[in-house]
Amino acid sequence: MSDVEKSAYRRDARRGIDDECLQSGLQKIQNRFGKGAMHYWAETADDGLRDRVKKSRMETLENLDVVLSMLADNIEAAGGHVYYARTAEDAVDYCRRVAVKNEVKSVVKGKSMTSAEIGLDAVLEAEGMEVTETDLGEFIIQLGEDRPSHIIAPCIHLDRQRIGRLFQEKLDIPYSEEPPELTQAARRALRKILLEADMGITGCNFAVAETGKISLVSNEGNIRMSTTMPRIHLALMGIERVAATMSDHQGMLQLLTRGAALQKLSTYVSFVGGPRQPGDPDGPEEFHLVMIDNGRSRILADEEFREVLACIRCGACLNICPVYGKIGGHAYNSPYPGPIGAVVSPLLFGINRYADLCKGESLCGACLDVCPVRIDLPRMLLALRRKLAYGDPAWQTTRHKWLEAMGFRLWRTLIASGPAYRLALRCAGLLQKPFISKSGMIKKMAGPASAWTRDRDLPPLASEPFSRRWKKKYSQAAKATSSEVDNG
Amino acid sequence: MDEKGAFLATIREALGYPGEEVRTAGECRRLFDPGDDGDIFDRITYRTHVEKQSLLKLMMENAVPLNLGVHPVRSFAAAARTIGDIVSAARPEFGDIRQIIQHDDDDIARLQLWKKFAGQAVTVHTSYQADMAVREKAIASYVGITAPRWAVADSATIVEITGPGRPRSTSLLPSVHIALLRIEHLLADLGEAYALLRKNPPQESVVFISGPSKTADIEAHMVHGAHGPREMHLVVIDERMTADRNYQGSGLFPAE
Amino acid sequence: MHTKVTLFVQCLVDSIYPRVGEAMVEVFRRLKVPLEYPADQTCCGQPAFNAGYAKEARAAARRFVRIFESAEAIVCPSGSCVHMVRHHYPELFADESIDYRMRVKAVGNRCYEFSEYLTDVLGVVNIGASFPAKVSYHDSCHLLRGLGIGEQPRTLLRHVEGLQLVEMDDSDVCCGFGGTFSVNYPEISTAMVDDKIDNIVATGADYVTGCDVSCLMNIEGRLSRRNTKVKVVHIAEILASRAGHNDE
Repeated sequence: MSDVEKSAYRRDARRGIDDECLQSGLQKIQNRFGKGAMHYWAETADDGLRDRVKKSRMETLENLDVVLSMLADNIEAAGGHVYYARTAEDAVDYCRRVAVKNEVKSVVKGKSMTSAEIGLDAVLEAEGMEVTETDLGEFIIQLGEDRPSHIIAPCIHLDRQRIGRLFQEKLDIPYSEEPPELTQAARRALRKILLEADMGITGCNFAVAETGKISLVSNEGNIRMSTTMPRIHLALMGIERVAATMSDHQGMLQLLTRGAALQKLSTYVSFVGGPRQPGDPDGPEEFHLVMIDNGRSRILADEEFREVLACIRCGACLNICPVYGKIGGHAYNSPYPGPIGAVVSPLLFGINRYADLCKGESLCGACLDVCPVRIDLPRMLLALRRKLAYGDPAWQTTRHKWLEAMGFRLWRTLIASGPAYRLALRCAGLLQKPFISKSGMIKKMAGPASAWTRDRDLPPLASEPFSRRWKKKYSQAAKATSSEVDNG
Repeated sequence: MDEKGAFLATIREALGYPGEEVRTAGECRRLFDPGDDGDIFDRITYRTHVEKQSLLKLMMENAVPLNLGVHPVRSFAAAARTIGDIVSAARPEFGDIRQIIQHDDDDIARLQLWKKFAGQAVTVHTSYQADMAVREKAIASYVGITAPRWAVADSATIVEITGPGRPRSTSLLPSVHIALLRIEHLLADLGEAYALLRKNPPQESVVFISGPSKTADIEAHMVHGAHGPREMHLVVIDERMTADRNYQGSGLFPAE
Repeated sequence: MHTKVTLFVQCLVDSIYPRVGEAMVEVFRRLKVPLEYPADQTCCGQPAFNAGYAKEARAAARRFVRIFESAEAIVCPSGSCVHMVRHHYPELFADESIDYRMRVKAVGNRCYEFSEYLTDVLGVVNIGASFPAKVSYHDSCHLLRGLGIGEQPRTLLRHVEGLQLVEMDDSDVCCGFGGTFSVNYPEISTAMVDDKIDNIVATGADYVTGCDVSCLMNIEGRLSRRNTKVKVVHIAEILASRAGHNDE
């Protein structure tokens, strides 16, 4: 297997780069939303908002036990159920039990990355339940047996022609590639399912501890329908997705809708929690909140990485990242792609397993600039790289690239000694001669550097390094100037 | 230790606290500090009618890109006429029978819409709490009429609080949503709405609605009308509207 | 009387682009700034640090501090190296004694990027340079986002006689170098530098310039492979140019 094939990240990155449809979609969202977000932060009057929200997020995380306890108490007081899922399996099993106990035949889902994280859909389908994604992008993904490639715009990698053909085939409608018509077709197809479903499963944008309500942010109305019409509503919530108070929520909400799609506010923000009141004709009879740990408490415990839990899942970092902008979401092979995914996926699912996500960025820092809550992702990527360089038993991480480690050990020996370094340069200067082409550039290198010369030329080492030129040409003159200076 | 206890103990230990010692809100008082909304309440309380009229103009501007129709009217009668026009112009999306559903609300009742539509083939349902068939009626209706608690000018948002006779489905299932508001309930920005919600936290569910449903999932191309209503109007009654305070601009029906 | 400047040329300049070092010397000479060059400097440690090899990077950093700490002003033609010294050295030595950490901090405070030193410290914007050509400027990531330096190079370029500065689209988007990233993930790196080059070519510029030799080497390497007729030049080389003595 070639190097590229050995790495799913590199193989899928290559596919993404070659996919013209994906490239077109990525350019659209990055130009509009990535640059738009940067522009907005630069222009916005209340610059302090980001710092205030960051501070409140960190304070909430530092008191997460108290906050979650208050949330649970308030939900239970309103007649809701709270389940504490340590692992993905716990969460999935609880959902399955609730569905089976209530003889659920049909499940409708609002977009939830957490549900993908825990692998819920397959388990419910194995019970013979019909599971339908109702967010338009996720619906399209589900119809096409595809995977989402962006956390806010899941099918940005598909163009209208592909979607048109998909709808023609799967929804049995005449071919159309006009987004309004396609959207209308989905509206019709999903309305009946939404009205007749037994159970609605959603994620949770932010829960509010002091009110015992969860908030759900959307534009389409499918989440409102999924939480209003079925008799059971089950919400999945990563333990970090909670605000202590409505005041905190206000700031987080405004940053979320701005960061995600430059909106002052999304079309719908609903606050729900607990079963319907007696006499209500709609609203669920049962409300369940599943709090999911699945490795988050371990991240919380490590002060180097705790900050990543402040994420509000807006997707702005995906919209600004030049690497994501070339490779697309599938290359990350994780429910969480993009810069945030590059930190969170290794921490949740295994640092060695996702080594390519830790190392496969250029560390340009754009994500830090655009993040509404100023999460220092580059700092954490470097920390992850250090774990891969030396191993870390606390995180079950072993050394990643033995050859690279040896290379840097050798490098250290050379740069630690002036004479050794200069000698190495001289040797390299001789050894390179057969590789220098007529144009003066090196077209093909051997060994690890061959990855460079695959697509780029390499300038050769200069015949005389600067240090030697200085000695020859300048040091006398410099001494002269210095003594001029000293002598006034 | 039960499941909850063990779960929270893990988190406590992650934060460096002993697992078994349950911590309380009193230990992180600052986190739950309600803060002082006094200034905000003063602003709301002492806002003049003229200032509210300026806010309404602002709201109309902000509503345009959201495809939200805002219709200022001078009286309940005028509101009824405007709503009548909207209902007549709209077509049922699913089926042919024209049914509309309205919240059980005093302001809406004042419109006497049943009178307006008497003689036309439009059935007016009210979502009375005692009515067992409200769910079916909401599904069958192509227009839903609600009376939000407040509207917010800055983000062109209405705030609906569920309650007896005011179910969620009215503003959700019909193809057209009409919200009725008296200008007295117009707020400047979301901060004011939050302050009011903090003051009296509702037991029931709350929703902020800023225009008809939409999606841009296909090629980032914005389409108005996804799963929720595809057309939305806000009728604002300003009984102190004078001729020279005409509200220009919005109040147009959203483009097809 | 100007403070003596201690040159920190960067390993890539020393070994591959010595003419950039020479150009810096020429500019400082013109400004009558006394210079010194500690001959046993090697590398600031950035390549190892960015790849996660902090221990190896620390060895390089310790050496750097030892060699440069007696300098009054350290000037480097590379934004990423200066960023390393200013921002990452304190992290590398977070567990050291307070004394050592203060020494490290002090070195960082006295370390400047070349264009920054000219405009912000010497207060000079016109070096008397002449470079009649259309030139586009690439904003290196660590220079712009890490050090906040974006106006200074442009100001200097605008005062060069005959130079027409043409801004490219996305001048601040990463060129795809990223250290070992460029050899470990070459398909991604190449795709990024191709976008950068397309943006340069679209300006019609004859030259592309910047303040970081790592980026320029990456761009130059791909330009060469694509046989594109845009030439690459470091800002120091432009500033060192005089009428009739244009750098190739």
